[in-house]
Amino acid sequence: MAFIELDGIVKVFGNNTVVKHLSLSVEKGEFISLLGGSGCGKTTTLRMIAGFEHPDEGSIHVAGRNVAGLAPNKRKLGMVFQNYALFPNMNVRRNIAFGLKIAGKDKAETERRVDEMLEVIGMAEFGPRYPHQLSGGQQQRVALARALAIEPSALLLDEPLSALDAKIRLRLRDDIRSIQRRLGITTIYVTHDQEEALSISDKVAVMREGVIEQIGTPFEIYNHPATPYVSSFIGTLNVLPAKIVDAAAGILEIAGQVIKSGKPLDPTAGSDLAVTVRPEAFFLQGDASESNSLSGKVANVKFLGSVVRLVVNIGGVDVSADSFNAPRLTIPALGDEVKLHFSPDACVPLPVKAKADMVAALEEGAAETRKG
Amino acid sequence: MRKKTGLSWLWFAIGMVYFFLPLLATFLFSLRGKKGVLSFVAYEHVFKDPQFLRTFGFSLEMAILTVILGLVLIVPTAIWVHLKVPKAKPFIELLTLLPFVIPPIILAFGLIKTFSRPPIVLVSSPLLLVAGYIIVAFPYIYRSVDAGLMAMDLRGLSEAAQSLGSSWITLLFKVVLPNLRTALLSATFLTLAIVIGELTLALILAWPAFGPYMALMGRNLAYEPAALAILSFALTWGSIGLIQLLTRGARDKGAKLGAVTH
Repeated sequence: MAFIELDGIVKVFGNNTVVKHLSLSVEKGEFISLLGGSGCGKTTTLRMIAGFEHPDEGSIHVAGRNVAGLAPNKRKLGMVFQNYALFPNMNVRRNIAFGLKIAGKDKAETERRVDEMLEVIGMAEFGPRYPHQLSGGQQQRVALARALAIEPSALLLDEPLSALDAKIRLRLRDDIRSIQRRLGITTIYVTHDQEEALSISDKVAVMREGVIEQIGTPFEIYNHPATPYVSSFIGTLNVLPAKIVDAAAGILEIAGQVIKSGKPLDPTAGSDLAVTVRPEAFFLQGDASESNSLSGKVANVKFLGSVVRLVVNIGGVDVSADSFNAPRLTIPALGDEVKLHFSPDACVPLPVKAKADMVAALEEGAAETRKG
Repeated sequence: MRKKTGLSWLWFAIGMVYFFLPLLATFLFSLRGKKGVLSFVAYEHVFKDPQFLRTFGFSLEMAILTVILGLVLIVPTAIWVHLKVPKAKPFIELLTLLPFVIPPIILAFGLIKTFSRPPIVLVSSPLLLVAGYIIVAFPYIYRSVDAGLMAMDLRGLSEAAQSLGSSWITLLFKVVLPNLRTALLSATFLTLAIVIGELTLALILAWPAFGPYMALMGRNLAYEPAALAILSFALTWGSIGLIQLLTRGARDKGAKLGAVTH
């Protein structure tokens, strides 16, 4: 049995089933993210592990112990909240010491442990400060130290970076990961931010409507999405309307230009379909493996630092194409005619049913990005 | 723009005069106990009257009991409502309006009628008076505590405390109550101020309280009631000043609530 084992969890609020027969295994020392849009059940799942909600069906085991019916204060799980939830009446030291005092640690040991935790979060000199005298990032560090001080069997983080601004978010994200690695603590991290999930985790579980659509390493999730929803939720995705020319040979037509798909086509689904291509799968110069190409007019050039994103209009559809930035790169001007090269394998056809799904996911993703 | 500020100062001045003039008149009147000179002789009479001390002491006792029992009853209720049954909040808020809508005289007769025969006979006990006072003070206590709870992230704090192993008792005494300090202080002083001067309940339930004493004085004497009125004003304002003073202390110590800064 894995260190944390969720088996067939169901949670119903009123007549809304928020989590549907969800199973999840987390190995000891693993960092796993639950990723999904709002209302996908990720936070509810985390809160059931923490004990703040109780599953209507299924079991939860932590370190071999069935925690069903166990109150949150008996589970010994460290929890970090989106809005820090530091005790405003206590200074940083007393916040961190809170759990230790309850556990009945003596004064010397508590002091030693608090010093150690302040060291871990790099805030040794902040002990006497009160929460309102700290920045958001500092408050969240203290919350992390407070949760870790009790030496919990696992760490649960509920959107810990959502309330912070972008720069601090990036730094704290790296800090959380390096502290987690150093302590080797099993961690479950809830987020709606796909970039955050991919960059921080050993494994990512993409959730939607109360089920896990796919679980895997960030590499697997990004490069081999198992469902259309995952492929659209993770990363930027171009969706192009296409027509089947020859299903058996995988020949398609996009805006009057013929291309080949490396993935099988379903001839029974009719001649209309959509294909997806990731922006980084396009190349401005092609070689033999990128045998497909599409021509279009440059509608926009976005300079994103390490990446240059061209928006190319192909038959009325705006398509994003990314190139790595390099001093030698010649960036096309607006209105230039360019050819985007890509390999047949990079072009994934979508069944019509999945297309509606995909559109929903893209909209959801866009909404989450705006919110974040 | 200047004209506008000038106008608002004028209104402010009119308001102040409207409020302070009668007070000043009462004060001056209270100083006229001795013919021809201004003196504090009326105040001397008040303090020398054994009835004054006795009734004031009784009312203070009742007020303290009301504060203690009221807080014990209402604070956990408010916390419970916030955490567990937030849907009941509008209902409780409606209840807090009842003491304003139902005249105290009705409340008093209701209490007498209900508790003067078995199974519960309480009319001869001052506890019935305290029970009545708790009802009268309920809106003030509940609203103060409610505002205090709204100002803190009660759910977040309680979940954080629980995940750190805290029991409900620890949560209440180490986290919730310290952060409710300001709210509890204002609830306490408001209750004290209201109960000490309360007339109707004390009169009808026939207890030798400060309110009825003041009313009696007002009927029989001239200068002493004015002195009493000034004294009770001073008491109320003293209470409010104390709230300010003590809560400022709390802020300086860093117990500022709901501070989320980046």
